[in-house]
Amino acid sequence: MTVQPAAAEIAISMTGISKRFGPVQALHDADLQVARGTIHGLVGQNGAGKSTIIKVLAGILKPDSGTIAVNGETVGPLTPSSVERLGVHFIHQDRLLVPTATVGEAVFLRHELGFVPFVSRRSMNKRAAELLKRYFDLELPVGILVQDLTTAQQKIVQITRALAQKASVLVLDEPTAALVKREVDSLFAVLRRLRDDGIAVIFISHYMQEIEQLCDRVTVMRNGTDVGTVDPAETPIDEIIAMMIARDVGEMFPKRSVEIGAPMLEVSHLGMAGGFEDISFSVRRGEIVGLTGLLGSGAKEIVQCLFGLERAERGSVKVEGKTLSLSSPVHAVQGGIAMLPEDRRAHGVAIDLSVRENISLASLGRYSGNGFVKRGLENQAIDGLIRELSIKTPGRDTLVRQLSGGNQQKVAIAKWLSCQSRVYILDEPTVAVDVGAKVEIYNLLNRLAGEGAAILLLSSDLLELVGVCDRVLVVYRGRLSGEFSGADLDGDRLLAASSGARGPKAEASS
Amino acid sequence: MSVSQDTRATGAQKIGSFIASYSVVITFLAICLFFAMASPTFLTGANLYNVLVNNVVMLAIVALGLTIVISSGGIDLSVGVSVDMASMVFVMLLAAGYGGVFGVTVGLLAAVAVGVLNAILITRLKISPFLATLGVLFIGQSTQQLATSGGQPIYLITGYAGAQFNAIARTSLLGVPMPVLVLVACIVVVYLLLHRSVFGRGVQAMGAQPGVAWYSGLRVPRQLSLVYIGCALLCGITGILLSATVKSYVPLSGNAFLLDAIGATFIGTTLSAERRPTVIGTLLGVLLLAVVKNGLLLIGWNFYWQQVGIGVLVFLVLAVSFGLRRARQ
Repeated sequence: MTVQPAAAEIAISMTGISKRFGPVQALHDADLQVARGTIHGLVGQNGAGKSTIIKVLAGILKPDSGTIAVNGETVGPLTPSSVERLGVHFIHQDRLLVPTATVGEAVFLRHELGFVPFVSRRSMNKRAAELLKRYFDLELPVGILVQDLTTAQQKIVQITRALAQKASVLVLDEPTAALVKREVDSLFAVLRRLRDDGIAVIFISHYMQEIEQLCDRVTVMRNGTDVGTVDPAETPIDEIIAMMIARDVGEMFPKRSVEIGAPMLEVSHLGMAGGFEDISFSVRRGEIVGLTGLLGSGAKEIVQCLFGLERAERGSVKVEGKTLSLSSPVHAVQGGIAMLPEDRRAHGVAIDLSVRENISLASLGRYSGNGFVKRGLENQAIDGLIRELSIKTPGRDTLVRQLSGGNQQKVAIAKWLSCQSRVYILDEPTVAVDVGAKVEIYNLLNRLAGEGAAILLLSSDLLELVGVCDRVLVVYRGRLSGEFSGADLDGDRLLAASSGARGPKAEASS
Repeated sequence: MSVSQDTRATGAQKIGSFIASYSVVITFLAICLFFAMASPTFLTGANLYNVLVNNVVMLAIVALGLTIVISSGGIDLSVGVSVDMASMVFVMLLAAGYGGVFGVTVGLLAAVAVGVLNAILITRLKISPFLATLGVLFIGQSTQQLATSGGQPIYLITGYAGAQFNAIARTSLLGVPMPVLVLVACIVVVYLLLHRSVFGRGVQAMGAQPGVAWYSGLRVPRQLSLVYIGCALLCGITGILLSATVKSYVPLSGNAFLLDAIGATFIGTTLSAERRPTVIGTLLGVLLLAVVKNGLLLIGWNFYWQQVGIGVLVFLVLAVSFGLRRARQ
């Protein structure tokens, strides 16, 4: 099962790495061998040890035992700056660029150009522009600030910074989490070019399709150790996932049998200038309907209008037959609509509030009398929801910041369960969530549907849409361009419809 | 996860955790003890009464208002204007011969008007709280100077007005001075609103993550308006107490509360377990500031050195807070 590169090509060699945090053995005798000129995937569920081994390599954590060699030479204790001097660069998940710096300043951060102690912003901007053009054929306005770049462009600026410093190894932690498809494609093209130039790329991702598309090798981690390194061209994705979770992949998208009832959410002729036109569909009790479309197709704007975050100019929305005013989320929530937003930390959960305060936030009316919160009542309900969703938290008063991503997402869902919402709108609910937590979220969707809720799932993960939904609606250039269910529902058809391949036919159907 | 439960706490750890839990109170008592030893006057009834009525009550009420605002994630730099507006309108009405009850009511409404203005700027025009209330601070200061021929104080020592002032500032109920009773009422109301009510939960959510409050269907603009109006009303109460105590209206005197109130609120935030503004924390902050100011005065430090004392206090609080965090880990 394990493929070993020849010794001479090895850029990074980590052997027998162990690391213990108190009672938790985060890494146990883990190995990682990465060859030059390859893109090496690192996969595993949260807690499998991926980020720990990367932090050891980055010099952020000191391993209890084990040896590390970079380009064939064994290195002593690493620190973040000594690692960079060895040519190993890290692109972390949360962008670590100064938002108010210019692109030039960001690229040459800590290696500024100019006569010391002065820096020449002009020559840095100019040199950065040259590098961006040379490596990525990307032309940005001179002097543009980091905060005005798209997330993908920021990733590219970070990579440029590494290249400007002669990186031989590039480590990317979930680089695509915040990117749209087109940006992902261009990032991948960049990474392939770097690989062909002989750079070793370590690529950490939760997205199996990306691993399959991009990586030459994949190391799978489970329970703090590597359980195998394989070639994704030869090993099916199902098998890789099975290695990660050590259980049957068949459970990834759990089966369900739910009676689908009367229409719960009815959207008719919804329109917004510059966004979308004439959108009509309904979601029935117990039904999970998917909604997908490329960035700018209008799919995102549709769900934002349904929740009152943006104003629709035309059309109407009914929940259980009652027309809703969609001027603000206040009315949407009162009308029984729940929203699980894409940006969990900005809109989903307040990480500095406790689990309890987050869960009851939208439904305090149920736990209060005369405007005062009845703590006993609240505590009881919160404890019930924590148990029901098996949210892993030391207690209801723990700050949400201390929970893992998957559990934070469950808190965000629990908020709406507490609210007894009837229509659930989920905007990319499984982005940056590990496989195990994904399965739990899918199970939860099934349960909600089973209890008679109507679910609208906005997602760009085609596998997820096909696996979870009863029906999928595709938006292309502001209009519904297709509806797929049953045997028609497959990834290729969805992809074709979202990229306009079936445009004309769909216009007739709406 | 960090502390395994089967290890028994040693004696030293027990003492450490005891000190951590009560460190704020211990610091406060230590400061009191220091001044009690340094000055024989400090622990006398007359002095403590003076500290409470003259230094604590008015500052505490303003700080309670700011505690609500800071909990919501905002700031109100115009607290002094609200204090002054209530004071100015109250005193001018008394000077013009209107009754005390009428004067107090309209004075409080004048403060509320400042809050409404802040609310409109922040929720309708979407100006950041810092800039909105800074603008109101400038406008409010000029308004007072325009209304008082460039800042002339209005003194009303005797007669009907003097009696009205005495009725507010110098009466007692069951031996408790009226201003203290007003403070207690404000503490109870603000505590219930901020820590026990649905409104308070919304305020804290807005402070922690405004996007989450909005996406949870809370009426964010309405609640924010109430926050600034509530703060202004509390400042207005201080304004009434202030004029009654000094039997006059001195333009721009309310500004003296701003930095102390902000300081007290943030000292309270630093000392609270959850690092949030709390009513209890703010009150502790006010007490610390008041005791240090009074104590330094009593041991003969001149007025300018008092500021140094306050600065040292702030660092002391930070040190205690840092120690607390260490002890908890």
